[in-house]
Amino acid sequence: MSLLNVGSRALLANQVALQTAGNNIANVNTQGYSRQSVVLQTVPGQFTGGGYIGKGVDVATILRNQSELLTRQASAAASVDASDSARVERLRQLQDVFSGGASGLGAAINDMMNAFSDVVNSPTDLTARNIVLTRIDETAKRMVGASDRLDEIAATVTEQLKGDIKAINLLAQNIAGVNDQIARAKGNGQPANDLLDQRDQLIRNLNQHIQTTQVAADDGTVSVFVAGSQPLVLGNQAASLSIDDPQDFGAASGQKRLYFQQPGSSTKAELGESTLGGGSVAGLLRFQNSDLQEGYQLLNRMATAISLNLNQQNQLGLTLDGSMGQALLSDVVPVQPQPAITNTSAGSLALSISDPNKLPASSYVVVFTGGTTGTITAQPNGQAQAFANMADLQTFFSDRGLQLTPGGPFNANDQFFVNPLKNAAGKMQALQFSPGQLAAANPVNAAMGASNAGSLQLASLKASGEPAPLTLPPAAGVVLSFTGGTPATFTLTGNTGAPFDASTTPPTPLAGPPYTFTSGQAISIDGWEIKLGGTPKTGDSVTVGNATDPQYGDWYKRNTGNADAMMALRDTPMFDGATLSDGFAGAMAQIGTRTQSAQFAAELSSSFAANLERDRTAVSGVNLDEEAARLIQYQQAYQASAKMVQIAQSVFDTLIQTMGR
Amino acid sequence: MSNALNRLSTANMYDSALRNMTSRQTSLANLQENLTSGKRVVRASDDPVAAAQAERSMTRITRIQTEQRALDLQRNAVAQAESTLGDAVGVMQQMRELVVSAGNGAFNASDRASVASQLQGLRTQLQDVANRKDTNGVPLLSALGSAATPFLNALGEFDGLAGQMAGSSVSIPNALDGDAAFMFQPQRDGVFNASVSAAVPATHSLGSSAVTATDPAQIALTPGGNAYDYQISVSYIAGGAPGTLAAQYSVTSTPPGAPLNGANPFVSADYVPGRPASIAMTAIPGLGLNFTGSPQLGDTVTLALKPSSSIFDTVDTAIRDIGSGSASAATQAVGQALANMDRGLERLHSVRSYAGELLNRADRIGGSQDTRSVQLEADRSRAEDLDMIQGISDFQNQQVGYEAALKSYAMVQKLSLFNFIS
Repeated sequence: MSLLNVGSRALLANQVALQTAGNNIANVNTQGYSRQSVVLQTVPGQFTGGGYIGKGVDVATILRNQSELLTRQASAAASVDASDSARVERLRQLQDVFSGGASGLGAAINDMMNAFSDVVNSPTDLTARNIVLTRIDETAKRMVGASDRLDEIAATVTEQLKGDIKAINLLAQNIAGVNDQIARAKGNGQPANDLLDQRDQLIRNLNQHIQTTQVAADDGTVSVFVAGSQPLVLGNQAASLSIDDPQDFGAASGQKRLYFQQPGSSTKAELGESTLGGGSVAGLLRFQNSDLQEGYQLLNRMATAISLNLNQQNQLGLTLDGSMGQALLSDVVPVQPQPAITNTSAGSLALSISDPNKLPASSYVVVFTGGTTGTITAQPNGQAQAFANMADLQTFFSDRGLQLTPGGPFNANDQFFVNPLKNAAGKMQALQFSPGQLAAANPVNAAMGASNAGSLQLASLKASGEPAPLTLPPAAGVVLSFTGGTPATFTLTGNTGAPFDASTTPPTPLAGPPYTFTSGQAISIDGWEIKLGGTPKTGDSVTVGNATDPQYGDWYKRNTGNADAMMALRDTPMFDGATLSDGFAGAMAQIGTRTQSAQFAAELSSSFAANLERDRTAVSGVNLDEEAARLIQYQQAYQASAKMVQIAQSVFDTLIQTMGR
Repeated sequence: MSNALNRLSTANMYDSALRNMTSRQTSLANLQENLTSGKRVVRASDDPVAAAQAERSMTRITRIQTEQRALDLQRNAVAQAESTLGDAVGVMQQMRELVVSAGNGAFNASDRASVASQLQGLRTQLQDVANRKDTNGVPLLSALGSAATPFLNALGEFDGLAGQMAGSSVSIPNALDGDAAFMFQPQRDGVFNASVSAAVPATHSLGSSAVTATDPAQIALTPGGNAYDYQISVSYIAGGAPGTLAAQYSVTSTPPGAPLNGANPFVSADYVPGRPASIAMTAIPGLGLNFTGSPQLGDTVTLALKPSSSIFDTVDTAIRDIGSGSASAATQAVGQALANMDRGLERLHSVRSYAGELLNRADRIGGSQDTRSVQLEADRSRAEDLDMIQGISDFQNQQVGYEAALKSYAMVQKLSLFNFIS
């Protein structure tokens, strides 16, 4: 009798084992399935006079093979991988905006500057002037196009973030639902393997979007935390996330932040970017807040420096009808610093651009720790630099070409977001289209004294507006009278201000009178600059006159000194010491380096994630060969148990036959 | 639970094989892109430093091309200016020959008048040559800036800004100094024309030699910066030694007040009559001339010295004096004109040789720019281009690796215990 019981129990147990193996085989390719193995336990034996007689086998439980540690590690690594690859994908797109080569933006800028050469050598050729203005227009349009493409990338990122956030919120709710089911199933005594697998898979999916930490509770639910400590899922309650502008500076900062909202509450808590960890949301936010902003800054600085320099030089020259030139490109009006919403005082900061050649390619946050002290931090990754008084603050910005005018008293913890060049590239526009409006002529002209006996030659003459604004010479002109010797010296008549040595930055006043003459030195007088070569003899003179004075008639129409000065802008350092012609190469390299290092990081985190996943599935994945072997094993056991039942039956039959009449 | 150290999940095995195959395929595709484009650095992220270097090299190459184009324009302009000066020298030579022929004693007034009109024609031609423009309508000899026709303005001056533009390391100036070529300056050249305003008696061929500038820096200037006009009235008196003559002369200037080497009247050195005279006049600082002719005691002659402002002015004076009708005035004018025209030719030659030097410089600049251009192209290529041999060999390797991955995948997936369980 008991043999029958043992046999039937064994049959049942082996059937369950077979079914479990079958279940594993069926789910070999199911995502997130942990292989189940049957745990057999022996039924306690019955005490008899001859000993404890075993009573067969029982299925204790169906064990879900998984390692909690490996599962968490694999999830976290996959999360970092998702974040890095989301960032790399977007950086590749950003890199295309800064592509080089003959069709790149840098080549367009250089072609525009080189076109001035034809104007310099053919003063009366209107076609050459037309070409310059057309190229300026094209460059402006391309800058606008590049800025638009950056805007498109930003819009794509925003859309993608919205989609990710929707997915996160949905997943959170699903996890909460599964938690609820698991808690109810826990009362049954056996672990709900499939629900646990489902929850783990949901958490893994959630980690692809944003990295989480999990804490298991006693009732079988797992609470999911984002950003270190915000409970996205607590038991069966799910919170929600959203993307919005930062609270302190709003949309003006161009950044986005993740917000956390408790269920049933209407307040949103802002989550700091450094707490987010991994996940595609974190990667996209990092891209949006730092990489994309750098792209914007580089482009805007280029547009601003080019516009302001070209405008300034054109306004110093004469057009074909003898009037001073106008602006060639639209003026760049700096965006004023944005006060934070949390500011307690009504103080404000006003900015204007004082030197377009020193502009920075980053934005700043000024935090006041007292009425006149505080720190300045470059965004996004700068170190905080302290200032002890308002003069220090102003010096900091004037070193970067910006003139800061503080207004009103400040309280501690007041903050300001300084991003003066925002959208400069998107608004760049050519203003002049008529060839006569290109101010190619110098407003001053120079004549050597006709009886000069030395070897003086005019190397260059241009209006620079430095260090003093341009003051046109009187009708008799500004006369430089030379005395030969070693060193040769000269004196001035007719000038308004003192002469400067223009080769230093800032220009240094010349010692004298009489002033020492060095061949080839740039001498800056009254806002124009003259370079003379050769050796003067005593009595030599050079007269600089006002080109629009009637005594010179229409001679200025054949002069192209100002176009020459515009060509010289190619060699003016404008971008952290790089010249105009090399500025784009620098920007391209900067974005390229970011992309390259992001690519390396993504490759590394991808192989790391793959390794951890392999380790995880080494424990919880299904191996078909193994299952096949187990099938054979349990089939054999089943056959043996069936045989046992048959034997038990024949034993019973024998007994009945023997006992029956 | 089995020991996880030696276990592998089937699904994960396939996943990892797929990952490897995909990544190999991607690198194969990338190499193919490199091969077809010929570039090792297709995007900045492939090698940011090299990409920036290639971009900078390309910028410099296009800049050199622009500079070469400008240099060609400048070279054309200077070549044209140089040939213009050559033409001007040719016209001056023709004028010189005519002036020499006008000194022929056998010519009468109408012969001299016809010489004068031929000279006038050549003078107009000279002015046209000097005003020649380049293809863009800018005068070739415009110096630092001039009117559309710089020779001459209403006052007979160069209508522009005198001086010479210097070239740079990549360019040469595109205009020459017309003022230096055609205009005279008193304190540099000291060109004066001496004409006889009254000679008594007319038969003694009283006159002067050409005016030389013994020390041009000493020549006095009026407060307005011009040279003085001088009038010298000479009368021949008895000299210190018996039987000799001396010239007693007084010099006045217009405007008055010119400094002189001493006080009026001046007396020259003794002259022995009977030979053609050549009596030095030393009163005017910086200038020297000799009184010529065959003077006798009591002869008087009045000379007028006018500064010549340009070659054109010299030729105009010669035309006026040769065509004026008087033989002695013509003889005097021929002597003056020949000497002054030679001074003018000196100036033309000096500016012309400067033009030649500029053309040489242009050739040198062109050569060095070509060399730089080649070097920059090599830099760019080294930074950006693919070494084809390396690229093809890498591609072959990747191809072999990819094939191996594909084959092994196909083989491994055939192996399963299920194949052996009947």
